[in-house]
Amino acid sequence: MRPDRLCIVIAVIAGVVVYGCRKRSSPAVVADVLAIAVPRIPLSPDDAAWASAPEHQAALLPQDMVEPRLVSPSTPLLRVRALTDGRRIAFRIAWSDATKDDLTGAAVFSDACAVQLPVAIDTSVPDPQMGQPGRPVEITMWSARWQAETDNPPQSIRDIYPNAAVDHYPFESPALDRESPDRQEMALRYAPARALGNAAAGPRRQPVQDLIAEGPGTIAPNAAGTASGLGRRTSDGWVVVIVRDLPRGLSADRSTHVAFAVWDGARHEVGSRKMRSAWIPLRTGKPHG
Amino acid sequence: MAVVFNWQIGRTMSYWYPESRPVRQFAAVFDINKCIACQTCTLACKTTWTSGRGQEYMLWNNVETKPYGCYPLAWDLNLLRLLGPQQWRDGVYAGRTLFEAAPAGERVLGWRPADIDYASPNVGEDDCAGRVDRGAAMTLPHANWFFYLARICNHCTYPACLASCPRGSIYKRPEDGIVLIDQKRCRGYRECVRACPYKKTFFNTLTGTSEKCIGCFPKIENHLQPQCFVNCIGKIRLAGWISTPQAARPENPIDYLVHVRKVALPLFPQFGLEPNVYYIPPIHAPAAFLAQLFGPGVQAAISAYRSAPDDPALAGILELFGCTERLVPRWRIAGQQVTALEEDGREIVHVPLKEPVYIREALDPQRQAVRTNCP
Repeated sequence: MRPDRLCIVIAVIAGVVVYGCRKRSSPAVVADVLAIAVPRIPLSPDDAAWASAPEHQAALLPQDMVEPRLVSPSTPLLRVRALTDGRRIAFRIAWSDATKDDLTGAAVFSDACAVQLPVAIDTSVPDPQMGQPGRPVEITMWSARWQAETDNPPQSIRDIYPNAAVDHYPFESPALDRESPDRQEMALRYAPARALGNAAAGPRRQPVQDLIAEGPGTIAPNAAGTASGLGRRTSDGWVVVIVRDLPRGLSADRSTHVAFAVWDGARHEVGSRKMRSAWIPLRTGKPHG
Repeated sequence: MAVVFNWQIGRTMSYWYPESRPVRQFAAVFDINKCIACQTCTLACKTTWTSGRGQEYMLWNNVETKPYGCYPLAWDLNLLRLLGPQQWRDGVYAGRTLFEAAPAGERVLGWRPADIDYASPNVGEDDCAGRVDRGAAMTLPHANWFFYLARICNHCTYPACLASCPRGSIYKRPEDGIVLIDQKRCRGYRECVRACPYKKTFFNTLTGTSEKCIGCFPKIENHLQPQCFVNCIGKIRLAGWISTPQAARPENPIDYLVHVRKVALPLFPQFGLEPNVYYIPPIHAPAAFLAQLFGPGVQAAISAYRSAPDDPALAGILELFGCTERLVPRWRIAGQQVTALEEDGREIVHVPLKEPVYIREALDPQRQAVRTNCP
């Protein structure tokens, strides 16, 4: 072999070896979601503990089973890592999204994601699209809008429309004391969803909501849920941490399944118009390799 | 999809749910010819129901000037363009309804207004169809026209909002047919905003849920007409109950106007929702424009309305508009007196068939002063 060609071959081999060594130094991309045991669950997506968890790339497909469907595919995949402290489980979900959509408005929609787990660990799983009658799923949803409202609670309509002009709110009549129960009761009367205790209507203290469903269209607040979460905008999308109770029965020798969904607000994705994954095996344990 | 019968289009059609008519259906007749667009109805509704944070832009009741007025912007034109030209044949709608024209993956053919589309509720106000500055005013009869279209939720028999909600958060009350959004269940997907062709569901930006006209159901439950009806200074509105054509009763004022005299017509019946607010069309606007809005019965309705001066029954029932706050389930005319009745026949109020005319002379003889009409 000519010396110059020999050099090229050696260089290629060296490159492969170096690349391979570097890949082995961080957790590999894995076919299932593996929740790594850690002493403390982090809420920050930047916490160093996430480096110990392998990344699962969850392929997404459009929700096309029930109307209204998502006709055109959008977000192709999510990058998921998971950690557990034996009591709670945390998912770090990252995806690419060119636009930051965390505002509200009549025709403004928020970016969002969700984690779904079967309520009961069984040999078979419920329907992947939000469960089925008698076989419920627990869903924890994070929304960029909820995150923005948690970080900076909205004060007035001018938070959304800076030039808005409002003549009068009856509950702000000078005749009513600022903090009086009468005033608060009157303001609540003009926010019927809040008056009825609709958990989706705020005011909110968490950017996530615990939900339960037994099929499409059945989603309802899960009063037993204690999830928390934190989402941050990255240079090319979002990274969100969702922390919830470890599914009952999940252990080193007993796995369950998890599914994910994502909504792109810029494309007016909301409700059933979403990208979603199939069920993915979820295990707890040590990193591969 | 189920197959249901829609009497307004004269045929069966596809709908998301099976036909299920309420025990009684709330309905209304608006006499467009009497509306002056004072917006008192709009403010009556606004101050009663939508004065809260997040509701600032909402007008459950609005009055717009046709042909150019629209709230939200182009609510009617956008949908007509989406639906495309359609035909009626012999009083039967031969085109596609919004349910039948729904594209793959959708429940209803619809579109969603942008935020800015709600920003000009008075766009086109008092703009007439022609260009006065180009000499149109110099020809007779005047080619220029406009009229006021007062709009609330139509509490449709086949609501598109209800059909579109994937959560089943919208329901039609079996006792009165009023369509409501369950405020405890709604999650603000705004499928209803997209689907309602009349754009009478709204998103509350504070709570993140959708809201709509509730037909003032607390008043209805107490046999009273809604706020926008009783505050109407033009007395253009009458609320009541409508039957199906087969079950129409002439002693029911709404049945009489809609089914017996056919003087009041639904708005865009071709959309297929069987809306339950009926309009007495304006007598001075072009027939083709009115036919697009109110269907093929327009000419007959206008002819009947024009005959009212010589038709005591029709003239009489029009006197009942705005004469009482109570719902008027029955009526009767005897001699020169028109009477609004409760269902059991008790009198609510009676009014003269013809309002007496009092002429006030220009000169006040007692004070020897000339009276003037103050603007």
